Amino acid sequence: MPKITIDNKEYAFQGQPKLLQFCLDLGVELPHFCYHPALSIPANCRQCLVEVGMPVRDRETGEITRNDDGEPVIRWMPKMDTSCSVDMADGMVVRTHRTSEQVERAQKDNLEFLLINHPLDCPICDQAGHCPLQNQTYKYGPEGSRFEFLKVQKPKKVVLGPRVMLDGERCINCTRCTRFTDEVSKSHQLTIIERGVKNYPMTAPGEVFDEPYSMNVIDICPVGALTSIDFRFRARIWEMSSAPSITVTNAKGANCSYWVRDNLVLRITPRANPDINEYWLPDEDRAVWPRFNEHRPEGPQVRMAEALKSVDWDAAYARVSELLGSVEGSNILFLGSPYATVEDNYLLGKLAASLGASAPAYIPHVEPGAGDGWLITDDKAPNAEGCRRLGILPVDPELVRARLEAGEIEAVYVLEDDPVASGLFRAVDVRDIPVILHTYHTTNETIAAADVVLPAAMVVETVGTYVSADGYAQRVWPAKAIRGVNRTLRMEMGISRPDSHGTPFDRWHNESNQVNCKPSWEMLPVIARSMGLQEEDASPKAIMQEVAHTIGAFEGADYESMGAQGVRLAEIGATV
Amino acid sequence: MKMPSPSRNGSTKAGDWRNYERVLLPPVRDLHRLDVYVKHGGYKALRAVLTHKRKWAPDKVTEAVKASGLRGRGGAGFPTGLKWSFMPPVDPGTPRYIACNGDESEPGTFKDRQLMEYNPHLIFEGILIAARAMQIDATYLYIRGEYVDWIRHMEHELANLYAEGYVGKRILGTDFSSEIIIHKGAGAYICGEETSLLESVEGKRAYPRIKPPFPAQKGLWGCPTTVNNVETLACAPLIINRGAEWFAGIGPEKHPGPVLYGISGHVERPGVYEYPAGMLITDLIEEVAGGMRGGKKLKAIVPGGASVPVLRADMIDGVTMDSESLQQAGSMMGTAGMLVMDEDTDMVKFLRRVTRFYHHESCGQCTPCREGTGWMENLVTRIDEGEGTLRDLDILMDLCDQMEGRTVCALADAAAWPVRNTIQRFREEFEAKCRQSVYAMA
Repeated sequence: MPKITIDNKEYAFQGQPKLLQFCLDLGVELPHFCYHPALSIPANCRQCLVEVGMPVRDRETGEITRNDDGEPVIRWMPKMDTSCSVDMADGMVVRTHRTSEQVERAQKDNLEFLLINHPLDCPICDQAGHCPLQNQTYKYGPEGSRFEFLKVQKPKKVVLGPRVMLDGERCINCTRCTRFTDEVSKSHQLTIIERGVKNYPMTAPGEVFDEPYSMNVIDICPVGALTSIDFRFRARIWEMSSAPSITVTNAKGANCSYWVRDNLVLRITPRANPDINEYWLPDEDRAVWPRFNEHRPEGPQVRMAEALKSVDWDAAYARVSELLGSVEGSNILFLGSPYATVEDNYLLGKLAASLGASAPAYIPHVEPGAGDGWLITDDKAPNAEGCRRLGILPVDPELVRARLEAGEIEAVYVLEDDPVASGLFRAVDVRDIPVILHTYHTTNETIAAADVVLPAAMVVETVGTYVSADGYAQRVWPAKAIRGVNRTLRMEMGISRPDSHGTPFDRWHNESNQVNCKPSWEMLPVIARSMGLQEEDASPKAIMQEVAHTIGAFEGADYESMGAQGVRLAEIGATV
Repeated sequence: MKMPSPSRNGSTKAGDWRNYERVLLPPVRDLHRLDVYVKHGGYKALRAVLTHKRKWAPDKVTEAVKASGLRGRGGAGFPTGLKWSFMPPVDPGTPRYIACNGDESEPGTFKDRQLMEYNPHLIFEGILIAARAMQIDATYLYIRGEYVDWIRHMEHELANLYAEGYVGKRILGTDFSSEIIIHKGAGAYICGEETSLLESVEGKRAYPRIKPPFPAQKGLWGCPTTVNNVETLACAPLIINRGAEWFAGIGPEKHPGPVLYGISGHVERPGVYEYPAGMLITDLIEEVAGGMRGGKKLKAIVPGGASVPVLRADMIDGVTMDSESLQQAGSMMGTAGMLVMDEDTDMVKFLRRVTRFYHHESCGQCTPCREGTGWMENLVTRIDEGEGTLRDLDILMDLCDQMEGRTVCALADAAAWPVRNTIQRFREEFEAKCRQSVYAMA
């Protein structure tokens, strides 16, 4: 196998890797700005310079020439090379800043250059705290600056599009953003304009940077030049904690991080997953953060004398068992949900089966033509595939209406969905029968007909599994705390901040903005028991273990196999 | 500074230059017209190359150019025949291109313009011979955007050529076809850099490319491409007509051939002059350009366009205009666009203007050049305006180190060399301005 020597240590390699990526994969840090693994290599920031040499070979024999000590004689390249663009070769010898003063000096010099026209407004910059320029300057940069002139002035607060704002002065011209629009999203909406030190990215005259993936340039911008109009000045990075999760805007299962301060979701950013979304996230997946904070219910409600009254959880559960117990179990319509986790839907199915009802059905939320064949799907719910694999199939609206009219449905149990808004039935159609509703929001139109309203935890507050349209089973972690005590959720929160230091804003000891709701996997066993059924409390992990053992379509899909990056069910032998 | 001795440098390298017969710009009236050019032996070389298929097989043409010792006239002086031989073997599915560089934007350089004006068909003929030698499908002739009149002129002559069947399909009735397309620049120095010229032709922003891959491997639209200067290709018909030995016999052995010297600055008769390579600089100033203007004393010359290091008057004795001699003297041949400065020249002001140029023209792709050129201009301006300090000179030298050899293209080097050399060679003038400044003690 070919070998390369980096800072006097030998490594074997395969294929034709570029030097910088190879070093990063090894954990050998090299400072860099313009290089991004998903984009072409322009080598324009000049930060990742290293010394590169090759062993001298005898022209005739091809043997490596050795000196008196038996060491290969190295011919060093006359200039330093950008490691991002160097193709590795067998026998290559590399000196990074760890072993070469020249390289160390070059990195320092380059950072001095990068900073002379940079506004250094870190105290008010959104990027501060997770800024590659700031971090690498602390690590590799010079102390102070010798530049004693007016900095270049460029346009600031430029609205490039509905979601992205430019500060031209902060830009270091790495061209990651223009390369993203040219090579990844292919919208070609951004280009570099002007020349030399006045360069900055811009749209064509009259054009608006409004492509559906525009906000990715904010993530890949190595400085604070491109910021989110939505998020800028809303929170400092060190005030927030983030939790690994997935987006629930559609059925792609794109990996993301939810950023939370004071138990409010403030921002959604992509989390790299090479199999699903690489490094990217569509804008529509990010725009939904308010839905986790706004119109959230304040505890359970029960209809008494035509009006909904807030009650405590025990009273709500008692009312559920009273209502469900008063009707024929087989005449209860159970509606599962493509918004709810596999675990929640599975428990609902068990409850339905125990009461003798037919299997739950789910309301599809598909908008034909909305998808783009990439990260946006027609299906606007995250877990329809999970429902199908559980045997929960799309509901037949004609049949439901016919059965309602015929009086064959005596009660409706809705898991985390809104059948009225979806048009499955009208509120008046179910006015005379009991309706139990697990809901995320107070804006749920089915509340108008509900007899018991049970506030349910959303993806950011629960633990559970979702199956994407492509068949990836992925679990989520709680990003924020809910009111009340749930030991499992507490355990799963862990320490999410990369620096492992807590702040007063952290969810694990911050009580502000906690929603009085519960995960459905906590509610359903209590309801089952109150109906006299056998159902133990179980953590989602244990529930999923059961699913993986009992349902072929989930065979092997336990939390261990899912890990942080999810697992493709077809690959572990799960069969539909 | 060690003085190169005339005997070693060979003051007679240029031979009997006073009786030199001009071949690039011969004294023929209306030579730019196709009929006049043809009457004076024009397109004979092309016809020979296309019809004598054995004598002038494509590789034989390249061999002849190699044997002639022709070196590129665009500034770097790379052996032309060798460059042609870098083209990969013909692959029927892949087009092959020439990009002919007429972007002429190096300050002090105006020779290609003269050639385009007075002898455009020599360029076209040279292009077509090179196209034959390398089996080229199309040539993009990239002309500097500011040359509006010359672009129009060249387009007119090219249209005549197409009408007469000298270019396009089945050239001169043979089975060889090759196109020429004139591409207008839009006024950027960086487009003269060979890979950014390619980007510009492709319709992209002219950012230089990383090499390798070299243009011969991946040039225009990823296809094999050779980039040659206008004057370089204009030498090709001469080599075919008169033979490689004749060409190699003109001027110095390692840098032979006719050269268009563009002389500007404080001389009596500035202009473009054709003489053999290897002319004594003193001959060019004193005899060719009519001596220093107003009888002043020579102070400094820049021998090959603003990027090459400046030479003090006491450094040019016996120095000749060829890469060997100039390198020994501490400069370079560049484009042979010679800037002559007399004793009244303020070298700080000179450098201020040069740094301003590179600040304005840096494309902004690489950090060191984008940021360094502007900083340099700031510093030199401050010194010139009497607010500089000696520390500023040290910073300027540091900036040269921080820029040189650390960028994608050679423009950072080209911007750093004049700064380094002008300060080194005229340090007392810079120090004097710093000492008189408001911060004199610093």
